[in-house]
Amino acid sequence: MKNISFNKLFSFSLVSLLGVLLLISFYDISNLEVTLSLSEHYINYGVEETGAINLVTAILFDYRAFDTIGEATVIFTAASIVALILPQHEASMLKTEFTPIVHQSIAFILPFFWVISIFLIAYGHLSPGGGFSGGVIISAMSILIIFTYGFHYMTRRFNVTRLSLIEDFGALLFLSIGVFGLIYGGSFLANSQAGVYLGNPGELLSGGLMPLSNLAVGAKVGTGLSIIFISLTRED
Amino acid sequence: MIDIVVHPNIYYFASIVLFLIGFYILLTHPNLIKKVIGLNVMDSAIFFFFVAVGFVSDGGSPIVEAGSEALTVNPVPSGLMLTGIVVSVSVTAFALAIIIKVYQHYGTINVEEIYVVRSEREC
Repeated sequence: MKNISFNKLFSFSLVSLLGVLLLISFYDISNLEVTLSLSEHYINYGVEETGAINLVTAILFDYRAFDTIGEATVIFTAASIVALILPQHEASMLKTEFTPIVHQSIAFILPFFWVISIFLIAYGHLSPGGGFSGGVIISAMSILIIFTYGFHYMTRRFNVTRLSLIEDFGALLFLSIGVFGLIYGGSFLANSQAGVYLGNPGELLSGGLMPLSNLAVGAKVGTGLSIIFISLTRED
Repeated sequence: MIDIVVHPNIYYFASIVLFLIGFYILLTHPNLIKKVIGLNVMDSAIFFFFVAVGFVSDGGSPIVEAGSEALTVNPVPSGLMLTGIVVSVSVTAFALAIIIKVYQHYGTINVEEIYVVRSEREC
């Protein structure tokens, strides 16, 4: 008992020391002289260079699309490892039976989930959202299905093989967009630099290849997180 | 009427406090799941810090309407934090998978009990 309290005291003093150090370093941070030339370039020329009016999407899928492919790879790796090291049985905690009210209301909500996720993915270059947020909503849908209708219903309707097929499709679509940029004389994943027709900024079909890469990332994130959750709920 | 003077760096201080809370949870709780929760709190502090760095007072969301000169917040930290959120989710999923394996191997997810079980098995 004495040992534990000593441990807590030691941790507390360590945390306070770190806090004092951080406070000293961040006390005057807003008066720091920084050059924001990169951000200013993105804000001033982002729309005409990429054709997307949502600047965060313009950065993610045009200027720094290579980083986005890295992110997608991180999710892919996590999903594969979690599916690999966990056993293949149903969790005992998921055997709770819900009343018909819960079943009916979840069945009523699910179409709206589809609509909002497809909207976020399709309008990613025009409004807040994008492939990542839309994909997360798709995976939230699969979590809801598992919790209300049970694990077996989910694996019957959308089994892991089919989900990983969609994930591979997303990855391949994103990679082929990258190779497309190479073929058309730009760098890997080039969009406007490769001379793709950008369209009028603000319309649904604008931003060159950006809606396609949003679709690819949405499919990848949605199915990847679903596979992670399905694997985590399996148990001996 | 009392004038409440807010320090200009109040967001940074709040994120520091959140970070320290997460670090304290990570250090003191013996339960592995609570350690993962502490790690997630630390992640949230970092996201909060970066979003606060990009904030411009009176700035709207970084969606540029044609021809308008409205002030927008800096889009670069938000784009960076999307990457951070994805990595945080992946690390959490991986940690939880490892914890499930630890539970199957030792029968507990308490670090101190794991030490006890391990020393008993070695004897």
